[in-house]
Amino acid sequence: MLREQSTYINDDGFTQRVIAALPRRRRTWLRPALLLGSAAIGWVLAVLWLPWRNLPAVDLSALLSLNPQVLTPWALVLTVAASLVWAMVAAIQWDD
Amino acid sequence: MTDADLIARVLAREDHHAFAELVRRYQSPVRAFLARMARGDTHLADDLAQETFLKAWRKLHTYRGTAQFSTWLFGIAFNEFRSAARQRKELTVDDVDELPAEATQPAAGSGNDLRLDLTEALKRLSSNERAVVVLCCQNGLSHEEAAKALDCPLGTVKTNVLRGKEKLKRWLQGYQHYESA
Repeated sequence: MLREQSTYINDDGFTQRVIAALPRRRRTWLRPALLLGSAAIGWVLAVLWLPWRNLPAVDLSALLSLNPQVLTPWALVLTVAASLVWAMVAAIQWDD
Repeated sequence: MTDADLIARVLAREDHHAFAELVRRYQSPVRAFLARMARGDTHLADDLAQETFLKAWRKLHTYRGTAQFSTWLFGIAFNEFRSAARQRKELTVDDVDELPAEATQPAAGSGNDLRLDLTEALKRLSSNERAVVVLCCQNGLSHEEAAKALDCPLGTVKTNVLRGKEKLKRWLQGYQHYESA
């Protein structure tokens, strides 16, 4: 008898009322967008400000000699570029 | 889509559509359970059911999936009912053990009369007895699931089911075929 009495209760807008009362959704796109924007600005600044013309030419003998005067500026440039690439990849793959 | 898929989507993306689907699936048993608990006050039951689902939204990350989702929801619903009853100071007057003799002897009548009297008799059970009788006998939860939902020992659930059934049987003994209840 108890089982028989368990009739289905029509929704009648109940679900809608619950969903309307839920806290507002967090803006999950905001953080990756900020990261992506910052990375893009970083790229632009790096292209504009890095002393590309003053960078020492790289040749095999210079690399093999491990001359710090040649390697240090290039290491810095590569570090900046790598960090910007990493930031962009992280922004694209962001999963909150 | 399974409950687990929907829950995963809610947790990953705060997906309102996925949560709406969960609410649609379980609104009926949760509202019916709370209506029983609130002794037929459907407005109070719906308010409590809404609070239940809002709390489920906030606490969804704590759902481990060891019990069925409905069992977890019934647990929240019962806690909501208990808090509301405590606020309304109803728990102290809730435990009506015995009815006056004339009320316990309904005249044997139609199935509709029995249904009405069963509804009335359920209202007379204590809240703990009513909760386990409704969960186990109406919603088909096992004693273990009811114990999990109500966060009480298994022995207490078994005792309350037995006691609740005995009271119902005593109060409704005027009806034939009561055993089928």
